[in-house]
Amino acid sequence: MTLPVLLKGMEVTAIAKSSLATLINPEDDRVLVLVQLNGGNDGLNTFIPLDQYDALVKARGSIVLPSSDVLKISDTQGFHKSLTGFETLYKNGQMAVVQSVGYPNQNRSHFRSTDIWTTASDSEQYISTGWLGRYFDLNYPGYPDGYPNENNPDPFAITLGFVVSETCQGQSTNYSFTVNSEEDIKTLNETVPGSTDGSCHSGELSYLRDVVRQTNAYSARVLEAFENGNNLVTYTEGNSLAQQLKIVANLISGGLKTKIYVVSQGGYDTHANQVVGGDPINGEHADLLNVLGTAIREFQDDLIALGIEKRVVGMTFSEFGRRIKANDSFGTDHGTAAPLFVFGSCVNAGVFGQNPQISDPIDPEEGVAMQYDFRSVYASLLMDWFNTSQEDIEKVLFRDFQRIPFLKDCAVSTDTQDIAAFKIVLAPNPASNYVHLQFESSGGWTDIDVYDVRGYTVKAISSQKLAKGPIKMSVDLDNLPEGMYFMRVAQGAAIATAKFVKM
Amino acid sequence: MVSPLGLEKYTGPWTDAHSAHLLRRTVFGGRFQDIKKFTSQGMDVSISILTNLEPVTDLPINYDFESDPKVPIGTSWVNKGHDPVNNTNNYRFRSLNGWTMGRLMAREMNIREKMTLFWHNHFVVADVNEARYYFKYIDTFRQNPLGNFKEFAKKMTVDPAMLRYLNGNQNTKNAPNENYARELLELFTIGKGPIAGPGDYTNYTEDDVLAIAKVLTGWTDIGFRSPNIDVVTSTFRPNQHDTGTKKLSHRFNNATITNAGAEEYKVLIDTIFQQPEVSKFIARKIYRWFVYYQIDESIEATIIEPLAQIIRDNNYEIKPSIIALLSSEHFYADFGCMIKNPLDFIASATSQNGITVGGDMVQQYTTWNFFFQYGALLQMRYFGLPSVAGWKAYYQEPLFYQTWINSVTLPLRKAYTDALSMVNNNTRGIRLDIDVVALLSSYSNPGDIETLINDIALVLLPKPLSEDQVATLKELMIPGLPDYEWTVEYEAYLANPSDLMLKRSVENKLRLLYAYMMKMPEYQLS
Repeated sequence: MTLPVLLKGMEVTAIAKSSLATLINPEDDRVLVLVQLNGGNDGLNTFIPLDQYDALVKARGSIVLPSSDVLKISDTQGFHKSLTGFETLYKNGQMAVVQSVGYPNQNRSHFRSTDIWTTASDSEQYISTGWLGRYFDLNYPGYPDGYPNENNPDPFAITLGFVVSETCQGQSTNYSFTVNSEEDIKTLNETVPGSTDGSCHSGELSYLRDVVRQTNAYSARVLEAFENGNNLVTYTEGNSLAQQLKIVANLISGGLKTKIYVVSQGGYDTHANQVVGGDPINGEHADLLNVLGTAIREFQDDLIALGIEKRVVGMTFSEFGRRIKANDSFGTDHGTAAPLFVFGSCVNAGVFGQNPQISDPIDPEEGVAMQYDFRSVYASLLMDWFNTSQEDIEKVLFRDFQRIPFLKDCAVSTDTQDIAAFKIVLAPNPASNYVHLQFESSGGWTDIDVYDVRGYTVKAISSQKLAKGPIKMSVDLDNLPEGMYFMRVAQGAAIATAKFVKM
Repeated sequence: MVSPLGLEKYTGPWTDAHSAHLLRRTVFGGRFQDIKKFTSQGMDVSISILTNLEPVTDLPINYDFESDPKVPIGTSWVNKGHDPVNNTNNYRFRSLNGWTMGRLMAREMNIREKMTLFWHNHFVVADVNEARYYFKYIDTFRQNPLGNFKEFAKKMTVDPAMLRYLNGNQNTKNAPNENYARELLELFTIGKGPIAGPGDYTNYTEDDVLAIAKVLTGWTDIGFRSPNIDVVTSTFRPNQHDTGTKKLSHRFNNATITNAGAEEYKVLIDTIFQQPEVSKFIARKIYRWFVYYQIDESIEATIIEPLAQIIRDNNYEIKPSIIALLSSEHFYADFGCMIKNPLDFIASATSQNGITVGGDMVQQYTTWNFFFQYGALLQMRYFGLPSVAGWKAYYQEPLFYQTWINSVTLPLRKAYTDALSMVNNNTRGIRLDIDVVALLSSYSNPGDIETLINDIALVLLPKPLSEDQVATLKELMIPGLPDYEWTVEYEAYLANPSDLMLKRSVENKLRLLYAYMMKMPEYQLS
């Protein structure tokens, strides 16, 4: 067979265009898109627990969405009216909802809590590297010296906007390259270096030189990917998140081997005017959710149209949820856990975890109790999406975390345990000196803790392997002050929380 | 590596490099002649000039809006109610933004604008869409930015813009809003320490946040977008105030604050400021604003503690601590360790190279607004802080100042200095390029190419050039030629200054030099 014959049946332009894309191994070159919702998203107004609706009305009557305006996905839960994009993705089997994601001892400062999410630290632990930065540090030691190179010609991570993402901060430098728009990708002249002497001046100077060098090296690749790539759907004009995701889809389709993209949407700190007074369907939060749902849906549609949907998953995150009780300004103050959304064609669509329980009366300080530790989400992505070993996960996250099977098909491992049926029973409730805890163990590592309404661990009851079979234990409450608490049991991928009152 | 030298007074030689360093850190751009003047005056006189601040009298004015009945063009709007028909807020913001940038670029040889910006980054107000509110808020600092920290905390607690920004105006006895109370502790006064227990951040507790919110109930702002109210202000509504006794935690020695109505917030601030941690918290911020971001145990012991002691000894007057820091061995131990923030980068590039924004009122304001917008593009918008914690460069570990620089912003910085180095006109016909030929006569010996290059480097760069760098710059100007060829060209021009051919050949070489030096990474450092 001669060359012209071989070419005859193919579209020549397609070959020319895919010079980069052919280097992509669809199994290995997986992409994770992080959608950061800055300000602390009000989860209770995003994914609404309809079985708690009466209590919600009492706690936040001035802002709660009318139940008839909830986009129901089951009898007991549904998305905010503005999230038609999410509803569609969910019904298409492209979205998983992970309920009440947070961490023990919730910190309600924006900055500290954002640091905790981006570094994957414990609440009391101060770490200066990001969780993905540590993942890259393990795999690409020495960076940025010697990068880019033949095997790694592309930036490992790209942040859309004007600042690098803290999630990608490694030991010595940040792994993310910034891209704002195609027009902004420029090269820089290198200038002759002066002498270095180990002073702070030399330290800052070498950082600046690295930026110059990498800007030049990576800009060429990113521009090439831009030109090779494409978008096949129309993204909404004026939707800044959609415009960021448009660039991401373009770059992925253009064959860039970048693993992480970070996009963001601000404005979720809705202390005031979260809804329009007297009109809880509309307001700032509804507008934000509309932007979010529309952008992610357009992105997913584009990925499918481009035929790259199996290479990409995305997840949203926000530093905390908001208070259950509304304040007097048609808003909500800083709270605790909130739902997190994972999207993509490899997602095991469904709802993980149970609806939060809203008590009546409500403590004004109360946030939504945590069900899943956010690091469980990270651990699941590292293992099931990036095929990271157990050992490495423990290095990145400092210890192991429960896995949540929100990925399917494309996933390396799946957990088949029946997690939906997992329930715990507490009696008596209200309790005084002790409470009995009962549940059906499937066997395996089990964490049992008691939290207060602010999300602080007040009692660590057990962290050990339990046998299969019925479990019955008595929990001593003698030294707990009177008040409301949550019992949380995590076993394998299953999780259950129940509220009780100490009298 | 950071210098181990402490806060003791600097006693080494006082050279041009020291003057240039002092100017770089305290004003938005000093020229060669300013540096020389500071050298001859000596350190103490220079610092006393920098810190001797008179009240400011000029005001932002209506420069182009014809439909504000209360504010004729050429007069100020800061104490005039809005027009209910026309949107008078937009032009006032343009005026405020332009005027503010104009002040940064005015080449005042004192610390006022850097300190005013410091307080803006400390007592953050953002998202308040009323120009008069911003003017009143920032004017509190600009009038006396080396004033008393405790007094600033009192003024800010009931400042109309702050009441709006952090929902103090919605903080009432029946529905306390804790937003301001939390930030007052976490970001404005004492700072958050390590978690010591549930809801306990070492320096304060969650219960303190709730108690303080109650202390501050009842305040609201007056005049937002109002056509009738000329002077914006705030007021205390006794019926919205929680008159109960508020108990603070053991972190404040279990202090109780009894009802004192409109005076109660002052009692609160006095109580908070009794904690020495407040002086350390502000000392760290001052250090990160003027010296470097890394604060380790040694800096804590040799700089922060003694600086905080000075602040306490002076009952929170800030001026003595600033003078001590700027006069210290530590301050002069390292040059060029700060990445210039965008406003510093923009304003100093014009000021140090003698660019003055000329033209009539409209041309000036329009041009200042151009520079203002470029600052926003480089991620530093005056009156547009990204969060209540201020700009990330001053708190976000581990990047700190490095957050300003990445593959998007560095090319934008280069585009800016390239534009200043080339002949250009802005849209209103104002030239904004460096008049490189006119500047020559201000240098010590412009006929000698090496001296000239080093003089310009003294202005533009924090450290002297290496031999390699000097050689490269000479090669750029007189490729392959001996040094005296520059002297010949320059003297030929001096002999016939009206000969455009001679002038242009000198000018073109100089433009290459400036463009190159301002895109050296060293130029990003202060």
